[in-house]
Amino acid sequence: MTSTFIKHELKAFWRARNTGKSIAVHIVMGLMILYLLACALGIGFFMDRFLKQAFPKDDLVFSFCGIILIYYLFELLSRMQLQELPTLRVQPYLQLAVTRNSLVRYLAFTAMLSFFNLWPLILFIPFILKVVAVKMGGVAALVFILSVIGFSIFNNYLALYIKRKASLNGWVFLVSSLCLILIGMGDFKWHLYSIRNFSYLFFGHLATQPLLVLVPILLAIAMYYTNFLFLKQNLYLEELTKHKTLRKSTTEFPLLDRFGNIGDLVANEIKLIIRNKRPSSALKVSLFFLFYGLIFYNNPKIGEYMKLLVGMFMTGIFIISYGQYMYGWQANHFDGIMVSKVSFTDFLKAKYLLFTLVSTAAFLLTLPYVYFGWRTVMIHFIMYLWNLGVNTTIVLFFANRNSKRIDLSKGAAFNWEGVGVTQLLLSIPLMLAPYIIYIPLKLLAGNNNLPLVVIALLGMIGIFTRGYWIKLLTADFYNRKFKIAEGFRDK
Amino acid sequence: MIEIKDLKKVYNNILVVNIPHLEIRKGESIGLVGNNGAGKTTLFRMMLDLIRPETGEVLSNGENVAGHENWKNYTASYLDEGFLIDYLTPEEYFYFIGGLYQQSRAQVDEFLAGLSDFFNGEILKRGKYIRDLSKGNQTKVGVASCLLQHPELLMLDEPFANIDPTTQFRLKNMLKEINKEQGVTTLVSSHDLNHVTDVCERILLMEKGRIIKDMATNSSTLSELEEYFAIGHKMEAVDSVKINVDEEENH
Repeated sequence: MTSTFIKHELKAFWRARNTGKSIAVHIVMGLMILYLLACALGIGFFMDRFLKQAFPKDDLVFSFCGIILIYYLFELLSRMQLQELPTLRVQPYLQLAVTRNSLVRYLAFTAMLSFFNLWPLILFIPFILKVVAVKMGGVAALVFILSVIGFSIFNNYLALYIKRKASLNGWVFLVSSLCLILIGMGDFKWHLYSIRNFSYLFFGHLATQPLLVLVPILLAIAMYYTNFLFLKQNLYLEELTKHKTLRKSTTEFPLLDRFGNIGDLVANEIKLIIRNKRPSSALKVSLFFLFYGLIFYNNPKIGEYMKLLVGMFMTGIFIISYGQYMYGWQANHFDGIMVSKVSFTDFLKAKYLLFTLVSTAAFLLTLPYVYFGWRTVMIHFIMYLWNLGVNTTIVLFFANRNSKRIDLSKGAAFNWEGVGVTQLLLSIPLMLAPYIIYIPLKLLAGNNNLPLVVIALLGMIGIFTRGYWIKLLTADFYNRKFKIAEGFRDK
Repeated sequence: MIEIKDLKKVYNNILVVNIPHLEIRKGESIGLVGNNGAGKTTLFRMMLDLIRPETGEVLSNGENVAGHENWKNYTASYLDEGFLIDYLTPEEYFYFIGGLYQQSRAQVDEFLAGLSDFFNGEILKRGKYIRDLSKGNQTKVGVASCLLQHPELLMLDEPFANIDPTTQFRLKNMLKEINKEQGVTTLVSSHDLNHVTDVCERILLMEKGRIIKDMATNSSTLSELEEYFAIGHKMEAVDSVKINVDEEENH
């Protein structure tokens, strides 16, 4: 039965409508993963040197034993954020003559096929073979390896268990993340205890008491079994597709009423962003980007050319991260928009208004950067004008060339849906355009003022000539409308 | 009101719609019937300027729908859930649509109050987004939003397909009423011959992209249609002709 499931899964992957188109994307992703694995292998091989540098006083094996549990603690945290729940679409099998056990076994088993399970092996096994096997003998090396595997499997199923619980009740996720962070803080910040000592307590004695290896193995088996039972009990349709049963309420944005129809469109789009998983994570990422400046500005040697980029990202990351998939966000009801009384000009004006609102909010939030001088704020303001005048139009120009739909309900991490050539092309003008103006003018004038003035002026011209750009974009859209709408219908 | 000239659409080298000429007069109520893949939805989509025909044009009030937007002011349509903004609550969606036609919230509320029978308490104030409604209830939202627009031309694709018998009955009465009393031109496709012959005065029968019958409804229409579909069914079974299922068809 399991082999049938695997066959179906493979078919589902290859026959998905967007597989053929995004094969290039898969290759790029595969190369990135290979690169990361190679890096991990490198770290694994030279771990003895790293450990020597980090803890020059301690014995190699002692310091190695100390870091293992710390690694697993961080791994658990990142697994909870990034690892995806294995999903066989079980619905079509539930009513067939397929036992629940075989379904659940498949679900639980395929959970092992995650890249996360490779990391610890690649990181630790080279060291174990290089150092532990030599110093302590084969048996010790074997039990070390078995323990590493045991802990990974335990971690794997623990993370999935928490995620599954969290999908029924969102608080579980918050509380367990908080616990993990507190455990970490307890050691590194408050020094209440030392995880290294705990780690050593186990791994240090592993060499002399090989039977201790049973602990991680039993933990792994117990966790697997807990997962298995939990899945089996919850294999009901309404629980698999459980939505939070919060009462959904009608929301209004009185501020936007002043803008009439366009305001209504913006209100709808704000709801789209807030009420759907993927766009709302795009918004959260933009919030994180507000701290982008802190990374660079602490360095007093940083040039103003860098501030241009930082300013552009901080005030405009939303335009880029959300705008690059436009109008794919609305793919689900694009037909509806096309036949409704919304004229495309209004549709575009609403996009401009949305971008203006979000960028303005982002600019206001970056005002505390005045700590680094008024000139920094001025550069942010110039890039804010540039974002509104130039980048919005560039983004919308590329939006007319994008016909990939986006499933709003899926998360953003490792989600490559909707990514295509358009997004790659889009990044070029966005990143380069300010420098094409900045560098020659700086060489010409010898100072930073002239290029900044020109960038600000161009931004302002862009804002005041929006009507003209909207007209061009509308004409351009009508040439491509059918292709876009057809792409969006293609699920 | 609508004039179709030499309209053709090709998918994968197969002619899925081929209508040399068709005229729909103001105030007519038209039923479109045909088996799966006959081209009904594709025809609707071309009439709404959602897909580009290979040749030909659709004139609405004498103006080509492609390249113009005036028809949007008096045309309301619901083909599938793709026409609804599914992350809004039904109320938000109705207010949005009403707002497009300069209706205040109070006006929209008043209009919706008149539809309370049709909604049967399952749509308004349920605290759900449209995406969480059942397919039948989504259809109700779609149809209601069409009526809210007070259109001159109403196009519905399979409106009876997912809704319960009581609502089917109410929908039929509503369609008859807006056609008779407000003179709205209605264009409804359906697989249910009883419903279309009941609601519509003129029946268009499509087969493989062509309109092969165009008849006024009278007492013998239903039996005539039943005869056609029964024979069609038998023929398919006998020589198992490859039927091109229209990939645009979305039920």
